[in-house]
Amino acid sequence: MNKQASLSKMRKVEERAAYLFLSPYLIMTIVFTVGMILFALYISLHSWNLFQSPEFVGLDNYFKAFRSEDFLRGFLNITWYTLLVVFFQTFIAVFMAVVLFKPIPGKQFFRTFFYAPSVTSSVVISMIFWWMYLKTGYVNLLMSKVAGIFGGEWNAVEWLNNPTGLFQLIARAFGGDIAFAQWYLHGPSVTWMALMVQAVYTTSPTFMIMFLAALVNIPPSLYESASIDGANSWKQFWKITLPMLRPIMLLVVVLGTMGCIQMFDYVKIMTAGGPLGTTLTPVYQIYTETLGINGPIRAGYGAAMAFILAVVIFVFTYIQRKFIEEKTELY
Amino acid sequence: MLILRYLILAAISVILFTPFILSFLGTFKTNIEIISWPPKFFPANWLWKNWLDTWTTDLGRGGTFPRWLFNTAFLAVLTGTLQVLFCAMGGYAFARLKFRGKNIIFTFMLSSMMLPGIVSLVPKYVFMAKIHLINTYWALILPGAVDAFGIFLLTQYFKSIPGELEDACKIDGASYLDIFRNVIIPLSGPALLTLFILKFQSMWNNFMEALLYLSKVSMWTLNVALMTFQQQYQTKWNLTLVGAMFNAFPVLLLFFIFSKYYMEGVSYSGLKG
Repeated sequence: MNKQASLSKMRKVEERAAYLFLSPYLIMTIVFTVGMILFALYISLHSWNLFQSPEFVGLDNYFKAFRSEDFLRGFLNITWYTLLVVFFQTFIAVFMAVVLFKPIPGKQFFRTFFYAPSVTSSVVISMIFWWMYLKTGYVNLLMSKVAGIFGGEWNAVEWLNNPTGLFQLIARAFGGDIAFAQWYLHGPSVTWMALMVQAVYTTSPTFMIMFLAALVNIPPSLYESASIDGANSWKQFWKITLPMLRPIMLLVVVLGTMGCIQMFDYVKIMTAGGPLGTTLTPVYQIYTETLGINGPIRAGYGAAMAFILAVVIFVFTYIQRKFIEEKTELY
Repeated sequence: MLILRYLILAAISVILFTPFILSFLGTFKTNIEIISWPPKFFPANWLWKNWLDTWTTDLGRGGTFPRWLFNTAFLAVLTGTLQVLFCAMGGYAFARLKFRGKNIIFTFMLSSMMLPGIVSLVPKYVFMAKIHLINTYWALILPGAVDAFGIFLLTQYFKSIPGELEDACKIDGASYLDIFRNVIIPLSGPALLTLFILKFQSMWNNFMEALLYLSKVSMWTLNVALMTFQQQYQTKWNLTLVGAMFNAFPVLLLFFIFSKYYMEGVSYSGLKG
């Protein structure tokens, strides 16, 4: 055997080994990623209750979704949710990371301690918050204590059963109101905002860890030369820390957006979309349609809604990426 | 300045842990005391019996807490192990071996991480129903056995291992499997443990799939059980909270033992950007 032939034989052995090593991933990704997307496309073009054979209906399911008031309501709800939760969780995560970053005795302890609530499951968090949100719960106790300090009175609220919107509350404070039929003007309901607080509570520490990891990579020399130039720590934060955190902030915002738009757990566990549909989300509707919880099984309709949602997520994250990348070039 | 920072840190700790402390204390109250106004901090009498009552709950047909705990732990350990094995294999191929299509597959893998999971929810459910995997653990294990993130993480780690040792082994005539088993795996302990812990936790906390695929009471995981438990015993908040504690304690314990690996895992996922 000449050298050339043995070399190409070695290549073949290597290639075969590589594909063998990769085979579990390749099989799974062909079935569960590629296969499922194609299957989803097929299902979304059919009317199918899973018992009879699917019936081709073209793009009907997609049109149906856009004409459905529930679906639009879900989209509006999830838009409020994403905007507010992503903003607050990013803001709080940066704040916690910056407070924790500088060397301080006990830093490791606090870092571990802060992250601990994030490892518990969404069901556990839901149970704890549900109980605290009861009319006789601790949240109302806290509010009545705060009101007491200012000499006022607090009327206990049923946090998880209050469809009043944020803008309705504001309008009422000024003596006006927003008509019941104009649901799209109500803003996020009290219940919906209660779930937002709960979401921010659990996600902020996770993102804090990401920011902490990014802060370690900022060269200390930047801060040293800044302090020689007489920049105080407030200025250093705006001129050095924040710009250097931009790439990781992009990631946190994108991951946060993807997570928020696909919100399901808290709604399923705590509100089932109520009160008055103010906590309906698209994923919850996809779930109920596919399993036929509020009527017949409509898998095709569910799949169509899922596709629309996926496109929205893609567009959103793409815009965020462009926007933040452009801003980054300024520095 | 130092005092101010400690005050902020203490305030954050209080905010983060108050809900847990309140619920822990709540597990010892009576079911009337726990929903009466105004809520008190400490229980009037410490009812340790609540813990026993919850633990010995029997919904019939094999629906008991020890069973649910076992199911959850079994699923979490198994998917964690499979992930480590399959992702390490894939990572080794990407980090060390040359083959046609490598770049295309790697790029495809990276972009698949940006794919929202919701697209495959409906087809996966229909698929599992049609091949009769509903109410089997396969429905959770199969799709969760290997994923792009794990392979990516381990590829990056394997690339950072110096190659000299492998070259020496190759000259001695070792096969790729030998090298993978005897060189790469022993040198990657921390990265493998990190991946295991991440996947263990995400399976332990998995809610949607467990809810979709497991409807038999004896097959439930703690998450599904806890939700149903609350719906059935809506007035017994004390017992529900004990259930929440049973669910949270094992992961919290694991977290405090391996916190270093948890942190690394989370900051690794930040490397994607």
